[in-house]
Amino acid sequence: MKRSKIELGDITPHNIKQLKRLNTVVFPVSYNEKFYKDVLEAGELAKLAYYNDIVVGAVCCRIDLEIGRRLYIMTLGCLYPYRRLGIGTMMVQHVLNYVEKDGNFDSIYLHVQLNNDGAIEFYKKFGFTIVETKEHYYKRIEPADAYVLEKTLKSATNNEGDSKNIKSSIVS
Amino acid sequence: MPSSNPLPPKENSLFKRILRCYEHKQYKNGLKFAKQILSNPKYAEHGETLAMKGLTLNCLGRKEEAYEYVRRGLRNDLKSHVCWHVYGLLQRSDKKYDEAIKCYRNALKWEKDNIQILRDLSLLQVQMRDLEGYRDTRYHLFMLRPTQRVSWIGFAMAYHLLEDYETALNILETFRKTQVPSSGYDFEHSEFLLYQNMVIRESGAFEDALKHLQTNKDQIYDKVTSQETFGCLYLKLGMYEDAKNEFNKLLERNPENIDYYYKLHDAENLRTDQEKYEMICKYRTKFPRALMPRRMILNYVSGELFRSEIDDYMRRGFHKGIPPLFVDLKSLYKDKEKVKIIEDLLQSYLVALKTTGCFSLNRYIIIVLIFEIIFLAKEEKQPASAILWVYYYMAQHYDFLKNTPKALEFIDTAINHTPTLIELFIIKGQIYKHAGDVIEAYKWIDEAQALDTADRYINYKCAKYMLRANLLKEAEEICSKFTREGVSAMENLNEMQCIWFQTECALAYQRLEKWGEALKKCHEIDRHFSEIIEDQFDFHTYCMRKMTLRSYVGLLRLEDVLRSHPFYFRAAQCAIQVYLRLYDRPLSDIDTQQQLNTANMARICKKKKESKNDRVRLPDICTKSRYYCCYLDEDSFSRWSRCTRRPDLWCIALFACN
Repeated sequence: MKRSKIELGDITPHNIKQLKRLNTVVFPVSYNEKFYKDVLEAGELAKLAYYNDIVVGAVCCRIDLEIGRRLYIMTLGCLYPYRRLGIGTMMVQHVLNYVEKDGNFDSIYLHVQLNNDGAIEFYKKFGFTIVETKEHYYKRIEPADAYVLEKTLKSATNNEGDSKNIKSSIVS
Repeated sequence: MPSSNPLPPKENSLFKRILRCYEHKQYKNGLKFAKQILSNPKYAEHGETLAMKGLTLNCLGRKEEAYEYVRRGLRNDLKSHVCWHVYGLLQRSDKKYDEAIKCYRNALKWEKDNIQILRDLSLLQVQMRDLEGYRDTRYHLFMLRPTQRVSWIGFAMAYHLLEDYETALNILETFRKTQVPSSGYDFEHSEFLLYQNMVIRESGAFEDALKHLQTNKDQIYDKVTSQETFGCLYLKLGMYEDAKNEFNKLLERNPENIDYYYKLHDAENLRTDQEKYEMICKYRTKFPRALMPRRMILNYVSGELFRSEIDDYMRRGFHKGIPPLFVDLKSLYKDKEKVKIIEDLLQSYLVALKTTGCFSLNRYIIIVLIFEIIFLAKEEKQPASAILWVYYYMAQHYDFLKNTPKALEFIDTAINHTPTLIELFIIKGQIYKHAGDVIEAYKWIDEAQALDTADRYINYKCAKYMLRANLLKEAEEICSKFTREGVSAMENLNEMQCIWFQTECALAYQRLEKWGEALKKCHEIDRHFSEIIEDQFDFHTYCMRKMTLRSYVGLLRLEDVLRSHPFYFRAAQCAIQVYLRLYDRPLSDIDTQQQLNTANMARICKKKKESKNDRVRLPDICTKSRYYCCYLDEDSFSRWSRCTRRPDLWCIALFACN
């Protein structure tokens, strides 16, 4: 019998409601209209994950220019019955491929709730490390603190222009 | 050209230019030349010129002037075939075919061998199914132009339609003999041969048909039709081995065609389910990728055999995630024993999938025998979506068995499992619909629709469910997502002859007791059917020219019974019910006033017009319901009387009908 099929697909105004449904189920945080409006503009930075043609996961990122040029993973999640099947990995891999192709990001970072061990383990596999603890990051959920996980793409000393060449080897 | 008022050479050449302009659709120029002739006081009342001017004006949409000029022209020259022909063309453009036929006949009185007029007449005759007249005209044309292919075909076709097979076949065969078989690919000749064969078969001479097919098979390029015809003829003639051979070859082409398997049953003279099962099993081995033999087997087995077969079938379905699996198996639910087996299996899948992730609790069940050594194979873990499809199936299973609470329980479990699967919401809506809650039903379909607004199927479902809940405005809005931009959805749907939508609208209006609106929709549907019949007109010339004769005959036969289509039945039934309701309790002015008052102020003008529609007078009702009744055949009558709970009203309808 055939292996299961995992694919990524675009988010469009036609299927955005599927993303909304998914997010309300997967995350304890609810996202506002602005979030979804931006997602529609995000192109490759926002994707739905399909498992045997069913939407079961999604990843949404944005580019953060506050300190250097960083990629921020806003959401990355998968429906509970479809976890540990490689769907999350595929989405992270998609993001990693994206930043590698772009070649101009300093790092990728994201927030994880303090007690979410599964997620922390998951991201560590891809070379993310805990760099900071933000107290009272979440407003309506417990625990309210969050870790910041980051994966550095350029070495800290390398701020010159030629650093681009080194970085790609770090990613792969 | 015998005319009571012949034109001198200069004017005559101008007149010919009018004709040419008309043929080339240069109507403006045509009018210019007409004016040049008519401005000469000597010819100001020249009949043929006036008639042509009228015909040209008609093409420019100036209908009233057109009739005025054509009639004036005719009055001035009653003996001119041109004037009569033009008058006929004008009537034809207004779909007054009977009148047009009369005009052509008058034209032929003065010019009996005019090919153009004869051709136009023949088209009208076949359109009106004046088959005898058609035959005479085709004969006339044939005598005038015996060298043309169309003359022969049309002549033969007339006899075929009159079921005079012998004459038809004589003509066709004589014609075929004149044809020199071309070496290359001649599809038109191939179609001709297949048509000839069709006529032979309809005459009942199957042996001749077989011989004809055998002699000509190399010149027939529609191989599937050729093979199918061979197979059916062999069956008819009792040549079962040949038939088997033929249908086996056809299955190689397409192993999904259920009809071929049925034909093989006949060829092998299989009576019992056991025999049929054994036969289909062979084909399952032969075509391992084909779905049809797998599905057919389920029809022929029962008991434990059924259990193991359906087990395999459903496992495949759930593994792959085939949404219409239930629809596929629904026909098996006639058999209570089979339902029980399916239910048992479903429950065992659920238990097993929850604990082991496989379809069976004991994963070592697949035993493979090779050289008498027993291997235990481990069942592979099923994909995470398998259990979801089991829930999905079970919801439909219990819905079908009218166990609404259980159906809802399973669909909710499924939605909790995967809240992004659109199909689940459709089924949830369907469960509510079957339980009679139209409001809840449409809400869930609307939810499904919102999850994928680019899906036309869900869009249609949603609109339909909304109409069932009498939400006409909402339904139109939903439909507008797929109709042309810039026009109102209602208009566009009418233009596209979207009959299901209009029928549902009519029924919704009927439930809302908006009689005028309901009738309006019914009449729109009736008009579609008239249009379909009128559209046939273009095919009379086109099919003859393209030699698609079998399809053409099929079309003529379809058009003959067009109004027996279930779509028409539903609309006609609604119209009759409304008319009878109005007959029973005619609307008073107060009623219409009330309808006005409840109407939205902004739409009041439109409403006024509609309320006039509502006040249908009594004689009107009789003729109108008779109009609809007369299209319902006997079968429809009995269906109608079964579904109407108003036999008294039905009597009136019948009475009106007679």
